[in-house]
Amino acid sequence: MLAYVVRRLLLMIPTLLGITLLVFMLLALAPGGIGAGLTASSGQVDGSKLALQQAYLEDRYGLKDPVLVQYGRWLARIAPIKFGTPDQITLAGEHKSKPRAIDAPPLPEWFPLSDAAIAARDAATLKRGVVAAINETEREDAQRAYRRLETDYVSSRAAYRALTKKLGDELIEYAIAQQISGVRTSHGDCRFDVIATTPAKRDASNWAAIEALATQIDAAYIRALKSYQLIDVAFAAKPFREAGVAIVPGVISIGSPDLGVAFSKGRPSSVLIASALPVTILLNVIAFPIIYLIAVPSGVLAAARRGKWFDILSGGLFVALWSIPVVWSGVLAVGYLASNQYVGAFPVAGLHDSLADSWTFLPSFRDDGAFERGYLLDLFWHICLPVACLVYTGFAILAKQTRAAMLDNYSADYVRTARAKGVDRGTVAVHHVFRNSLLPVITVFVTVFPATLAGSIVIERIFSVPGMGSLLLEAITNRDRELVLANTFMVACVNLLALLLADILYAAADPRVSYE
Amino acid sequence: MSTSPDSAPLLEVRNLAVSFENSADPSSRVQAVAGVDLSVWPRQTLAVVGESGCGKSVTAMSTMQLLPRPPARYDCGEILLDGEDLLKRSERDMLAVRGSKIAMIFQEPMTSLNPVYTIGDQIIEAILLHQHVSHRQAVEIAIQAMNDVGIPKAEERIRAYPHQFSGGMRQRVMIAMALACRPRLLLADEPTTALDVTIQAQILELLRELQRTRQMGIMLITHNLGVVAENADVVCVMYAGRVVEYANVFDLFDRPLHPYTRGLLKSIPSLHDAKHRLTTVDEVVRDPNEFRKLAGFEKGVVPWWPETPAEARPLGVPGQPAYRLHEIEPGRWVGCWMSEHLEAHPSRKPNLEFRRNDLGVVSGAAAI
Amino acid sequence: MTSKRPELRVISGIDAMRGVGATEPKGFWADAWSRVLGRTGAIIALGWIGVIAFLAIFAPLLASGHPLVLTDTATGTRSWPLFDNLSASDLLLVIGAVVGVPWVSFPLRIARSTRLAALLIAGLQAGLTVVASVGVAEWFGSPARDLALRQASREAWFAWAASGGVALLFALAAMFVSPFASRAARLVQVLIVAALCVVCLSQRWTPALVDVDRYSELEASGAATAIYTLVPWSPTQGRTSLNLVPPGTRLADKLPAFEGTVPGERRFVMGTDNVGRDALSQMLHACRLSISIGIVSTGLAVLIGVSVGALMGYFGGKVDLIFFRVVEIFMAIPVLFLLIVAAGVLPRNTYVMMAIIGCVTWTGAARFTRAEFLKLRSQDFVQSARAAGLPLRSILFRHMLPNGVTPVLVDSSFAVAAAITFEATLSFLGLGPEGQPSWGQLLASATGATGLFNWWLAIFPGLAIFLTVLSYNVLGEALRDAIDPKLRKAAQ
Repeated sequence: MLAYVVRRLLLMIPTLLGITLLVFMLLALAPGGIGAGLTASSGQVDGSKLALQQAYLEDRYGLKDPVLVQYGRWLARIAPIKFGTPDQITLAGEHKSKPRAIDAPPLPEWFPLSDAAIAARDAATLKRGVVAAINETEREDAQRAYRRLETDYVSSRAAYRALTKKLGDELIEYAIAQQISGVRTSHGDCRFDVIATTPAKRDASNWAAIEALATQIDAAYIRALKSYQLIDVAFAAKPFREAGVAIVPGVISIGSPDLGVAFSKGRPSSVLIASALPVTILLNVIAFPIIYLIAVPSGVLAAARRGKWFDILSGGLFVALWSIPVVWSGVLAVGYLASNQYVGAFPVAGLHDSLADSWTFLPSFRDDGAFERGYLLDLFWHICLPVACLVYTGFAILAKQTRAAMLDNYSADYVRTARAKGVDRGTVAVHHVFRNSLLPVITVFVTVFPATLAGSIVIERIFSVPGMGSLLLEAITNRDRELVLANTFMVACVNLLALLLADILYAAADPRVSYE
Repeated sequence: MSTSPDSAPLLEVRNLAVSFENSADPSSRVQAVAGVDLSVWPRQTLAVVGESGCGKSVTAMSTMQLLPRPPARYDCGEILLDGEDLLKRSERDMLAVRGSKIAMIFQEPMTSLNPVYTIGDQIIEAILLHQHVSHRQAVEIAIQAMNDVGIPKAEERIRAYPHQFSGGMRQRVMIAMALACRPRLLLADEPTTALDVTIQAQILELLRELQRTRQMGIMLITHNLGVVAENADVVCVMYAGRVVEYANVFDLFDRPLHPYTRGLLKSIPSLHDAKHRLTTVDEVVRDPNEFRKLAGFEKGVVPWWPETPAEARPLGVPGQPAYRLHEIEPGRWVGCWMSEHLEAHPSRKPNLEFRRNDLGVVSGAAAI
Repeated sequence: MTSKRPELRVISGIDAMRGVGATEPKGFWADAWSRVLGRTGAIIALGWIGVIAFLAIFAPLLASGHPLVLTDTATGTRSWPLFDNLSASDLLLVIGAVVGVPWVSFPLRIARSTRLAALLIAGLQAGLTVVASVGVAEWFGSPARDLALRQASREAWFAWAASGGVALLFALAAMFVSPFASRAARLVQVLIVAALCVVCLSQRWTPALVDVDRYSELEASGAATAIYTLVPWSPTQGRTSLNLVPPGTRLADKLPAFEGTVPGERRFVMGTDNVGRDALSQMLHACRLSISIGIVSTGLAVLIGVSVGALMGYFGGKVDLIFFRVVEIFMAIPVLFLLIVAAGVLPRNTYVMMAIIGCVTWTGAARFTRAEFLKLRSQDFVQSARAAGLPLRSILFRHMLPNGVTPVLVDSSFAVAAAITFEATLSFLGLGPEGQPSWGQLLASATGATGLFNWWLAIFPGLAIFLTVLSYNVLGEALRDAIDPKLRKAAQ
């Protein structure tokens, strides 16, 4: 059995790979590609700042690379086995990876590096001073120092990139004027290598601008290079805790997946998911026992009284319930039961009252005799309507499957044998028929669980419950790629684990299934 | 009540009629059994022979009230076990009969065992229902039962699941389960039809052995005349819910009286005669001369057959059913059309205390 | 002794085995269909679906802001704005329904199934022609093209040429699929359809931009009189001053300028939504979205699923292993999650939505088909076909597919219900097709940002979704009980 579980867990990996690849490709299909959301969420109005922001994002996420390369990079971050220098984790849970080197300025054939730049590139003396300085300070100061250096690094790198992009735009115009073809890529970037093969025409209209930009680039390169060297040393001094456990130090390590930073919220995705996932799981974990406790007995009863009024009534009721879309029941529940216009007996939104944190856990009476709900009861009161809207869909599938399985098994040969042995009707129903009917009932879990999980998206939106569903909706609206991917990944994990659980339960229930 | 167990029939079926709702045509009912008389004595094997649909399984299942009502209905008749009418018992009282006084084994050993419980559990379930023993003692009894039916390594295999057994072994498990409480009567509904021929022989021999050691009566339902010839003491041939012939096995095979029985026997290919065509049952029963061969034909003793043309039938007796099982010779009954002659000469119900081993004939050597 | 009930016939067991006394058996599908029709629930469900289909086809004629007849009071000239503003697809749908229903129902010499198949093929041909023409028009008219091309695409001759070309293309394709035996009949069918398409399309190549409010102003000022259709509002016609108006309000109640005039007396029978558009008009037009999404998505899902499943089931081995991983990938995440991600990033129009729902929900059909094919593969008739040397295609389509597709067809009604629910959910979440009225979208306006509950936007659209989904589910249940032999046996 253990071997089976391990095998299934290993088989989950290609499935997870597949689903994340699928979602990644979908996001890449979006008009504007993966970068569209990033620029949209920056919210900057100023043109030059927008260019800066765009350059930073493109650079950081490698948005100009082919889609598969980007996917590979994301995968490398997610994978628990990491190669190369391990990341470091800040207290807030954000991953900091080794700073990337600065690329040399483009078009060295036309604009060779200045001497200062060459000197900066080869400077080694700088490093020693920085190391000494950093080793002397306390750890917290080291973190603050790192952050300062990081800001400097990021901004200088972004500026350098922005200037490079501007140069690219100018060169594209130059190419159009000079009728050099094949310079412009589909993204609108400039292919410097194509330009490099042509001779420089100094009499072009924008040549002055090009030259000015080249000089600025050189200066920016030097600045960026210097800040890179500083931060590189600072990183190597390990101001933060190292992520994961090193197997071969500096080469292979095992660590937790880095789910990235949700740039629409500016916080690490793992933190957001860590607060949203328990909510969704709570909703579903409460919903499932209720579904089973109501649906299975009614299925059994309907099978025992086939054709009688209970069977027909419950069958019709469940089909009707199944047909009520969750969007409608949620809206009706909020509108009629929760809002103050009508009944107003339930809370409208959220999982907790705004004062809930100050309450005790269990219900109690305050000093002046007034009843205080307490944290637990408040939670249940808030969760009532969302769970009610979540469970009724599952009734129909489960009850119908139970009934069908029971009816199937009632006419089985071994039931005839049992009756011939002298087993009474009740024991036959429970001990023989129901026990065999458990098998399809467990199998149906595989259908009901994803359906309930999906239903909780809508419920979370309608009732403003901060779970994985509403997180996903926000991420989609903001085109937040990292968050969408992280969210999908976690939901897929949860779903697959639940299905695995169902399979294990089935194996325990059916001795015919062999797992050797 | 009998004084000695051997002096009265174990089971007597008197005039049993069972009908079903017809799902294909709700305006009609299917009369599966239309007036059946038979009896089984202790240590006797009664073979009930007939084609599909003749009512043999329904008769057997009726003895234990195993048919679901509705759609089944017991129209009339009695089933006497040791003199008591089983059809009058309530469901709760029947629980004490099933498995302990009468046991039944079925045709499909593959599906007749519950797949999710071990065979030990299933045999012990039967034991604990009818015997006041502790669980450990029940295990002992189960192991003994498994040994009795020839299942090797019973102590290990008692924890095995049905799907881990072969077909023949599963049938042995069924027999062990059925006999764990030492029933007096065993109903075997085509127990070997789904098995290989070699396994068939083993199972039947097992049944004969168990019958000998336990003084059990067996009602063996089959459509295989070879099985009948080897294993039966008394034969009851059924057609369309009625008994057409009832006799001991040697008499039946020697000199069948009813045209249908003759047709069945003639249609078996013989190693001795070289024929171009096999005789079909249809040929025999459509030939009016066959019906005339019965002794007493001129007096109005006409073998009953549903497709007999109206002019060939004797004049019936108003107020009486059209069919009667009549004792033509001592120990031989034939189903006949009711006529005034039969009305005037009532005969007793089929009751044949005959066992082939009593004659000293070793079973297996066909004296046919 | 037999006991007889006086009113019942009695047959013996042997006769029952031989089938004597059983009712006359029909063909498999005729038998199943008559069983379905025997249940009242299924009849009512079919009735409701028929109503929705009717509304879907005739919606532009039932609810439009364009008047049927506009009479200028001064000159007395009449114009027919409604007719002038019908789009090509609207026109074709109406013509198709008006011609098609008698074509299929009247007793003619040609077999009904052939006529139905011909109608479906004609519909498919017309539909594809319209879609392709719209695509061509958009492609030529998009800002990425050169100015010259864009201007050319607005000319009249271009409309004829483009629609003619596309129509010819699909007419050719339809020639192969047409169910008629004789070449002449096929030619007649495809040419009629193609001609109709070309005429309708070329007349309505570019949609006219008409401000519908203009009519009520003309009426109010007395410059013209108009006769409207049943619901005198267009689904896209809205004013912010008419936001969230409860049912039964008159136009004049919200816009005092119209007090005392004819247009002022017109009521919003089901209220308005959050941008002032009439809810009833939107609901009528949304019927089209529901029906088309339900059927097209399910058709697509069945197509993909059956193909993949058949391949998996027939070949087994490596092919099965690989494709089953693909099926598992789609099953790894709940369908709605994938739909939300897809709908969130892809362009928001009806065709894209149909495509994504179809491409995500195919796994059910695939698994059914795979199971059936695996079962059939080992059956004797397939073995004998292979032994006889029949080509794979023939075995798959002629022998295995008709048998293996039954569970998929039984499930298809449920699949349509699920597709409609998905569309409603996506529209509710704001991810539905833009510019197209939808029940889910109306539902989303029910709980406003201000916390007020607009009950008319919750009850009516929700009821519409509920009844439609319920009808398909009930129909599916009836179909399943009629076809599934195991359930039939258990019911006996």
